Amino acid sequence: MDIIGQFPLFYFPEYGSAWMMGITGTIHILASHTSVGAAMLFAFLAYKAYKENRTDLYPYMKKYGMFLLIFSYVIGSITGPGIWYTATAASPRGISALIHNFVWVWATEWVFFVYEVIGVFALVYFIDKIDKKTHLKLTFTFALASVGTLALIIGIISFMMWPGTEGYYATGSASDAFFGVNTFPHMFLRIGFMIMMSGVIGLVISSAMKKENEALSNELSRKMGFVSLIGGFVTMFFFMWYMGTLPENAHAVFNVTKESIIQNRIILAIVFSLYFILAIVRPKTINTVLASSMIVVILLAGLWPGEKLRESMRKPYVAGQYIYSNQIISRDVPGKGIKSELPIIAEKGLLQVNPFVPENLKVITASNKLEAGKLLARMSCSNCHSLETTGKFRPLKDRLAGMDKNGIKSILYAIGAGGMNYMPALKLPEHEYDALAEYLASQKY
Amino acid sequence: MDASVLLALRDPAGIPFYPVVFQALYILTWALHAAFVLLALGSMGLSLYGTLKQKHDQNWKTLTPHLIQTGKISVSLLIVLGVAPLLFTQVIYDPNWYTTNTLSGMWVFIFIYVLIVGYMMYYWYFYANKAKAGGGKLIGIISFAVLVFAGILMHNFAVTSIMPNEWMNMYAPNGVVDNSGWTFNVDIIRLVFMVSLTVPVVGIFLQNYSRFISTREDSTKELVDYTASLGTKLGTIGLLISAVAFVVWMMRVGYLMHPVIIATIVGVLVLLFMVMTNKNSYVTTGVLVVVALLISGVRELIRFDLMAELGYSIYDYPVNLEIPSITMFLLTFLILGGVGVAYLLTMSWKVGKTKGVFDGSQDKAVNKLGNYTLAIMGLWMATFFGWGMTILFKNIL
Repeated sequence: MDIIGQFPLFYFPEYGSAWMMGITGTIHILASHTSVGAAMLFAFLAYKAYKENRTDLYPYMKKYGMFLLIFSYVIGSITGPGIWYTATAASPRGISALIHNFVWVWATEWVFFVYEVIGVFALVYFIDKIDKKTHLKLTFTFALASVGTLALIIGIISFMMWPGTEGYYATGSASDAFFGVNTFPHMFLRIGFMIMMSGVIGLVISSAMKKENEALSNELSRKMGFVSLIGGFVTMFFFMWYMGTLPENAHAVFNVTKESIIQNRIILAIVFSLYFILAIVRPKTINTVLASSMIVVILLAGLWPGEKLRESMRKPYVAGQYIYSNQIISRDVPGKGIKSELPIIAEKGLLQVNPFVPENLKVITASNKLEAGKLLARMSCSNCHSLETTGKFRPLKDRLAGMDKNGIKSILYAIGAGGMNYMPALKLPEHEYDALAEYLASQKY
Repeated sequence: MDASVLLALRDPAGIPFYPVVFQALYILTWALHAAFVLLALGSMGLSLYGTLKQKHDQNWKTLTPHLIQTGKISVSLLIVLGVAPLLFTQVIYDPNWYTTNTLSGMWVFIFIYVLIVGYMMYYWYFYANKAKAGGGKLIGIISFAVLVFAGILMHNFAVTSIMPNEWMNMYAPNGVVDNSGWTFNVDIIRLVFMVSLTVPVVGIFLQNYSRFISTREDSTKELVDYTASLGTKLGTIGLLISAVAFVVWMMRVGYLMHPVIIATIVGVLVLLFMVMTNKNSYVTTGVLVVVALLISGVRELIRFDLMAELGYSIYDYPVNLEIPSITMFLLTFLILGGVGVAYLLTMSWKVGKTKGVFDGSQDKAVNKLGNYTLAIMGLWMATFFGWGMTILFKNIL
C-alpha cells in the first residue's frame, strides 16, 4: 500500500493555520526574551546591591521580580508549550521532525525549566526572607538556568531554518543538526535582544517608582537606558552576522521585501536609540505610559514583522530543509533512513497516498473534480496561503488574480519543476494538476 | 484504523532511544503533572470555600491565603511538569498525538489562551484576596471555572487520541472533509474519576500542612488540629468517591480484574487506611505518589493495548540510537536537576520553618548545595560551548 504519513488537515478560514502559530510565537518571544533578559539583569542588580550594600535596590528588585513572575513566567511558560500545540495542529510533521531529532535536547531544556519555575518563586518571595548572600547565589544560578534554556532551544529553531552543514544529512546526528553555522550568531542575536528587553521592562518599573523615590527612579532609569542601548547594539551586530549564515532560499525571500524591511529596521533603531539616550540623559522624562507604549511598539513593529519574516525566509521548508511547509518530505536524509516522498506523489498523486483522503475523493471523476481540487488546494497550498476570494494571509487571490485555468496550470508546472526556489517543488500527476487548476480558476480570484 | 496507516504515520526519522524508556518517562512525568493538576484544582476549590468563612473564622483566615498561594504555585508547576509527558507521548504515539491535534486544531489554539486567561485571573483573585479578607470571590470562581475548562479540553485530546477507529469519521463524516478542527470528545466517567481525585489530594495536602506548621512558633494548636481533621475528612470521603468512579470506569473498559488495576485498588485502600489514621502524612504522600504512578500506568495500559490490537506496537518503533544527546539529558537530569532542585527545595523547606530571616550562608546543606549548583551550571555552559565548537569545526573545516 503506497501511503505517506500525512495527518488530517486543519485549516482556519480566511487566514490559514500558520498565523495562529505566529501569534502565539510572537507573544512567547516577547515574554521569554524578557524573562531571560530579566534574569540576567536581576543577577546584575543583586550583585550590585550586595557588593555596595545598596539595600534600597531590593524593593525595586521585588517589584521587578513580581512583574517578571506574572508577565514573563506565566505567559512565557504557557505560550512556550503553546507554540508546540499550535504547531502540531498547523504543521504536525514539521514539529514531529523536530521532536524526533531533538527529544533529548528538549528534555534537557525541561530540566532547566523545572529549576526556573521553582527558582522564580524562591527568587521573588524569599527576597526579604533569606540573607543577601544566599539570595545573590540564587540569582546567579537562576540567570544561568535561564540562559541554559536559550542555549538549548536555539539549535532547534536554527535547524528549522536549516541544518547549516551537510553533516546532519549524512549522519542523522542531533549534534550535527543542532550546531549549524547559524546557531551561535542566532544565539547571541537573541541574547542582545534579551538584554535590551530587560532594560525596556526595567524602565516601566523604574518610571513607576518616581513617587516613592525620585532619585532612585532616575538612577535606575539611567541604568536601564544603558542596558537597553548595549543590548540593542549587540542585537544589531549579531543580526548582521546571522543574516550572512542563512541559506540561499532565505535570501531569495528576503530580497523581495528587502528595502522596506531595512527601512523599517533603521527607523526602529533610530527611535529606540533616541528613547534609550533620553532615559540616560533625561531620566525624569520617562514615564510609565511612554515606557509601556514602547513595549507595544516592539511587539507590533519589531517582533510581529520579524517573526513573519523568519517564517517566510524558511520557505518552502518548515524544518531542516527536508520537510516542506505542506508537510511533504522533499529529500532523502540517509543518516536517518528518510526517503523523499516527491517521487511517489508525482507517480500516484496526493489523493492516493494521503491516508486521510476519503474514498470518494481518491479517484478524480467529472462529478467530484472541483471537490477534489479544493482538497488538493488545501493540502498543497493552505499552509502558506489563504484560499478564499476574501483571504487575508498571503492570499492566493493576489497571486492568481485574473488568471484562467491554463495560466494557473502553467504556474503549477513551473513550481513542480522547481522553478521557484521559495516554493515546494511539488510535482503532481496530470489529473491532479488539472483538478487543482480547475478549482483555483473556479474561484475567479 | 488500518495498521499500515498507523505505521505510516510514525515519524520516518525513527526514535532516538529504546521506546520502553520513553514509555516509562511518560508514565512517571504524567503522574507528576497530574499530582499538581489535582493539587491546583483542589486547593483553588477549597480556597473559594475559604473566602466565605475567612472574615469571621480564625482558622480560615490563615488557611485561605495559603490555599490560594498553593494553587498559584501548583499551576506553574503543573504547566512545567506537563511539558514532559507532552514531549514523550509524541515521540512514541505520534500517530495519536498529531491526528488528535489536527482534528481538534481550534481547541488546541483555544486551550492556550484559556489557560493564560484562567491563570492571569487567578493572580487577580490572589491580589484581591490579599487586599481584603474574603475578597475576589467572583474572580476566583471564574478563574476556577476557566481552568477546569482547560482541563476538560485536555481530557478531550486524551480521549480523541485513543479513538483511532473513529478518526476518519471525525475528519470526513460521510466522505465530506471537515478541516475546521472542532472535534470534541468526552468520556464522562473517566473525567469524573480524574476530577474526583482533587478531593483526596487536597485532603492529604491539608494533613501535610498541619504537620508542617505544627513546629512553627507562630501557628496555633487549633489551626493544626482543625486542618488535620479537615484533611482526614476530605481525604476519606474523596478517596471513597474516587474508588467508586475508578471501579465503574474499569468495569466499562473491561479491565477490572487486570493485575495493574487490582494493584491500584489495593493502593487506594492502603491510602484510605493511612489517611483515616493520619499517623504520618509524609509517608501517606509517598503512597499517594505510588498510586499516582499506578493510575498513570493504567492510562498507558489502556492506550498500549488498544493500539497493539490495531497492529501498532510502540516496541516495534524503529530506533536510530542517538547517544550524545541522551547522555546530555541524563547527566543534566540527574546531576544538575537533582542537585539544583534539592537546593531549591531544601532552602524553601527551611525558609518555611523559620520565623524571620533564614540565614542560608550559615546553613551547611543550603550553602553547599548552592555552591554545587552554581559550579555545575558553569561547567554545563562550558561543555555546551566546547561541544558546539567541536561539532562546528568538524563540519565546516
